[in-house]
Amino acid sequence: MDEQRIGVYVCNCGTNIAKVVDCDAVVEASASLPGVVVARPYKYMCSNPGQEMIVADITEHDLNRVVVAACSPRMHEPTFRKALQKAGVNPYFLEMANIREQCSWVHHDPVEATDKAKALTRAAALRVARHEPLERRSVDMCPNTLVIGGGIAGMSAALDLADAGGKVYIVERNDHLGGNVARVDLTAPYLDSASDMLTGRVTRVVEHGNIDVLLESEVKSLEGFVGNFHGGIRSKLHDGGVVDQEVDIGSVIVATGYKEFDAGRITHYGYGKLPNVITSFELEKMLRTGRVETKEGGAPQYVAIIHCVGSRNLEFHTYCSRVCCMTALKYAHEIKAAVPGCYVSDVYIDMHAFGKGHEDFYRRSSEVKTLFLMYEKNDYPVVRRAESKDDCEMLIEVNEKLSGETIEIPADLVVLMVGMEAREDSEEVARLVNISCDKDGWFIESHPKLDPVATTTDGIFIAGACQYPKDIPDSVAQARAAAGRILARIARGQLEIDAVFAEVDEDRCSGCRICNDLCPYSAIEYDEEKGRSHVISALCKACGACVAACPSSAITARHFTDAQIFAQIEGVLA
Amino acid sequence: MTFEPTIVGFLCNWCSYTGADLAGTSRIQYAPNVRIIRVMCSARIDPTFVLKALTDGADGVLICGCHPGDCHYSEGNYKMMRRFPLLKTLLADYGIEEERVRLEWVSASEGQRFADIVNDMTERVRALGPSPIKMALAHDMAER
Repeated sequence: MDEQRIGVYVCNCGTNIAKVVDCDAVVEASASLPGVVVARPYKYMCSNPGQEMIVADITEHDLNRVVVAACSPRMHEPTFRKALQKAGVNPYFLEMANIREQCSWVHHDPVEATDKAKALTRAAALRVARHEPLERRSVDMCPNTLVIGGGIAGMSAALDLADAGGKVYIVERNDHLGGNVARVDLTAPYLDSASDMLTGRVTRVVEHGNIDVLLESEVKSLEGFVGNFHGGIRSKLHDGGVVDQEVDIGSVIVATGYKEFDAGRITHYGYGKLPNVITSFELEKMLRTGRVETKEGGAPQYVAIIHCVGSRNLEFHTYCSRVCCMTALKYAHEIKAAVPGCYVSDVYIDMHAFGKGHEDFYRRSSEVKTLFLMYEKNDYPVVRRAESKDDCEMLIEVNEKLSGETIEIPADLVVLMVGMEAREDSEEVARLVNISCDKDGWFIESHPKLDPVATTTDGIFIAGACQYPKDIPDSVAQARAAAGRILARIARGQLEIDAVFAEVDEDRCSGCRICNDLCPYSAIEYDEEKGRSHVISALCKACGACVAACPSSAITARHFTDAQIFAQIEGVLA
Repeated sequence: MTFEPTIVGFLCNWCSYTGADLAGTSRIQYAPNVRIIRVMCSARIDPTFVLKALTDGADGVLICGCHPGDCHYSEGNYKMMRRFPLLKTLLADYGIEEERVRLEWVSASEGQRFADIVNDMTERVRALGPSPIKMALAHDMAER
């Protein structure tokens, strides 16, 4: 082994790390570790000057190994690997110590956090000394894309990809395209027709030569890796049978959208019991026919709209569904247009008008004489049937927050602004494409701010409301961003994939074949003639199951070798 | 002074390590006693890693992987699950208390769960005192 010349870089991350961890003490402790030639702190290692510092040190001090003690490697490992590459050092001669997510952000005590940071940095330095240079593999990028979900997000992504020349398969569970937007009448804040907007898109998608629309279909399997996936799709036939097909794709966009909250779960609104308590989607249906009426067929004189149904409370969903406030304001305009002289009241918690044109829309809605009543979170209004002496069908009791009084308002029609929630089978979809869901069932993005389109599985992207409640413009923006990311890769034709995979030392292999059945990707082949097993590196995904199971220790996990992990264990315990 | 145990944590990259990162981004405070080592999958965790950690002075070892059915490599966590009882039998034979070595499932969204597990395990191992292996090794060193 060449002489070890290690550089250790300890990031302050502004004050994110430095306010708890004594970074200078970590630097000092690292400087005396075996092989360490230079150790420095810096305000932001990931910034350009930070990376240039590493590059300059590599040249000046002839470094051949680098430790960066900073954030999670899941965040900036690629950044620093690139810096090493730029300086002419193999990118795998990097190891990161996670002293932000695992120290400064989770421990208050500076002494304990600093001790732990020293231990993690020491482990990284001992580990990196045992790193080996690895060559990345280049694979072809298949230009076809699978889009799961034919709503506004899925269609928008598909059109961009198909216009650029790529083949796109849209798999839609329903018998029509359009998703939830197809259930909406007008859109806030400009009161444009959703169906006008959608019809143009649907026509373009259906007529596009590069797009295969598979309705009443589901993705049943997905195998392979970025650039080289194989999907299995099952479609229903009109005669009741099914047909299966296999497609080769390079990327997947998951755009499965949301479902609305089941209003029946909240008892005090009387949904399902009082006939004229309806959901926002049921009102949309009426608005699309142009008639707003009660179940009895009469024109309602009083309409009350209750916000945050299923959203922003501790009992159901704590998050804000983001589109309901503006949708509710839209109803005031639409209801008054359909039933002139009708009184509309909005019973709300806060009015969230964050988007472009939304605040102006809020002002215009106040001007059309909508009555606004504010209620406290978790102190729900109560809807009850009115008595015969009242001139309305129902009464709503609200503890009105601004006046501090309990107010009763009349209603002939109550509209519940049902929030968005993740689809029941989002966990199943996540498992199918190998991504994760958060506690509410929304798909998790690669990074909440810097990479909200990608996921933890390379080649799988998310778009639209399956990630989190979104309005139409945000869904379309994310979808087109996903398409852009994929097109950048298609344009290059090839992509580099991680050099991490398992290898069999044939001299040590006893040919017992235990590993053969263990591999989930059938990446281990047995050579009958030699009586030895070997790994097909292109199929290996580097889980390391075979490595731990091999009774002869004949299998090595590149970049996760026993020697490297042993060094790390020694490092954290020294 | 109360005894502060050192625990080595082996976390799979896809679920548990990400879950621990989430504890960080959510600023969930937990005991500083666990030192995390990242592996791609819990199936990579060779029983020798656990033995090495214990002989090198760890008072406990925490292994975390994806929940059953959620493994990034489809079934690596089941492999760990099956290996674990064998490892526990071996450790029991050496006189290592049950609670020192623990296998838990932590998903990418379970930052709170990860913090709770670390706190609970730290408390239990603290109550047990230093690892008998560590004590025996220290005794051997003193004899020499």
